[in-house]
Amino acid sequence: MKKVEEIENENEVVEEAAGEEEKFPMFKFDHVTKAFKGDAAALSDIDFEIQEGEFVTLIGHSGAGKSTLLKLIYAEETATEGEVYFNGAPLSKIKKRKLPFHRRKIGMVFQDFKLLPKKTAYENVAYALEACGARADEIREDVPQILDIVGLGDKMGKFPHQLSGGEQQKVVLARALIHKPQVIVADEPTGNLDPGNSAEIIDLLLKINKLGTTVILASHDRDIVDRASKRVIVLEKGKIICDDAKSKYRVC
Amino acid sequence: MSIASVSVLTLALYVAGALMVLMMVSGTVLANVENRINVSVYFKPDVSEEQIIKIKSDLESYGEVKSTQYISKEQALADFKKNNANEPVILQSLDEIGGNPLLASLVVRANDPNQYQNITEYIANASFKDDVSRVNYVKNKEIIDRLNSIIGQARKVGLALALISAAVAVLIIFNTIRITIYIHKPEIEVMRLVGASNMFIRLPFLFEGIIYGVLSSLFATILLLITMKFINPYISNTVLSRSLMAFYFSQMFFILGIQLLVGIFLGIFSSWIAMRKYLKI
Repeated sequence: MKKVEEIENENEVVEEAAGEEEKFPMFKFDHVTKAFKGDAAALSDIDFEIQEGEFVTLIGHSGAGKSTLLKLIYAEETATEGEVYFNGAPLSKIKKRKLPFHRRKIGMVFQDFKLLPKKTAYENVAYALEACGARADEIREDVPQILDIVGLGDKMGKFPHQLSGGEQQKVVLARALIHKPQVIVADEPTGNLDPGNSAEIIDLLLKINKLGTTVILASHDRDIVDRASKRVIVLEKGKIICDDAKSKYRVC
Repeated sequence: MSIASVSVLTLALYVAGALMVLMMVSGTVLANVENRINVSVYFKPDVSEEQIIKIKSDLESYGEVKSTQYISKEQALADFKKNNANEPVILQSLDEIGGNPLLASLVVRANDPNQYQNITEYIANASFKDDVSRVNYVKNKEIIDRLNSIIGQARKVGLALALISAAVAVLIIFNTIRITIYIHKPEIEVMRLVGASNMFIRLPFLFEGIIYGVLSSLFATILLLITMKFINPYISNTVLSRSLMAFYFSQMFFILGIQLLVGIFLGIFSSWIAMRKYLKI
């Protein structure tokens, strides 16, 4: 358990920064409702903010709306009502042409990895740069570096099926980090992993966060959230029923 | 699937190419035949050369007439002998008749083949109509009209065939690319999630369409070449006054260029509509 004071301190720092000048929160959900055709609302009246540098954990049963909330963040879906703002800019107004640039600011990690099976770890990470038109020498320099950071420096030439689940997820993390994103969005990153590997991934996310990157982590696993021991938002049936930011203490 | 795409597009481009060759060949053939048409006006034996020369200048002043050529009795006989040099029987009978049985004539050419009707009518009603023995014209016109209608029919059938096969080709390429998109779904998903630009995602599929277009036009040209080689002996120097192969070779790159343009356009068009429908960006 991390200390309550630490959380308080973090909140204070954020408040100070906000007070300096007109500074937007990184993400602001303004009374967002998301409904899919023919279904009850997947999310209703979601209203919260995420500040730069925060580590936010979303917890809720499957179907509580975690994935939908994350999809709104990386603009895969747009809100039915309300608006999601990224650094002050409404996400629903992003043009299709500009969408890739928004996604490059966000590193995404999924439960099912989404690695390309016919590419090695190195190639999978390099692919993310190639797809954005990076130069060859940039790729040669950055990719091994980032794989070193996640601890796979010696397994760059391995194919996904030759790697363990935890190692595969590290490749995914490396791929997410390669664009030096402002935020890492992780949707159940430990869903397919055993507890040991899960802990490693969470520790990596904490390390990434410490280096300044905002992290948004969704999980249904209480242990994972406890391990991170950061701000928790509890989702249930599409509603936020508890948010640590609304209280002085960790209550969720 | 890609084999089907290429073969149907090849068929479409082949028909289109054959159509182009047909149009070019028929153009030259028609011009050729039209050049050979003329009205021969034969004069009665008692009409003198001076009279004919007068009639000649009279005809030349008539607007529709391009040229006239006087062929005297002696000239006609010489030509006749020359043309029948291999027919001793004919020459012999000519000798037996004694003297020159042939008539002097004027060969009249018109600016436009459609005006021969007017010219013959003019001659039939002219002041010198009593000097005229006969006017030889009708036969050639029938040949030209038939040729024209055959070419017109072939053009219509070819155009319909080309359009239908092009439509089928578009459908098949569309379907092929749809399947390619489906197969590459995981890759596309990864590309989107790492922020690949929309063009980066689309380019491979556009490229696929372009490749189908290029391959098909090359195959179509090879097929055309084979076809030309096959029908070359039947057409060269008879219907066409020169070698069909030589004619085709002179136009091959022009035709290939058009086939490439059309093929690439159809390929891009098909893959674009497939992407609009099935590729989520």
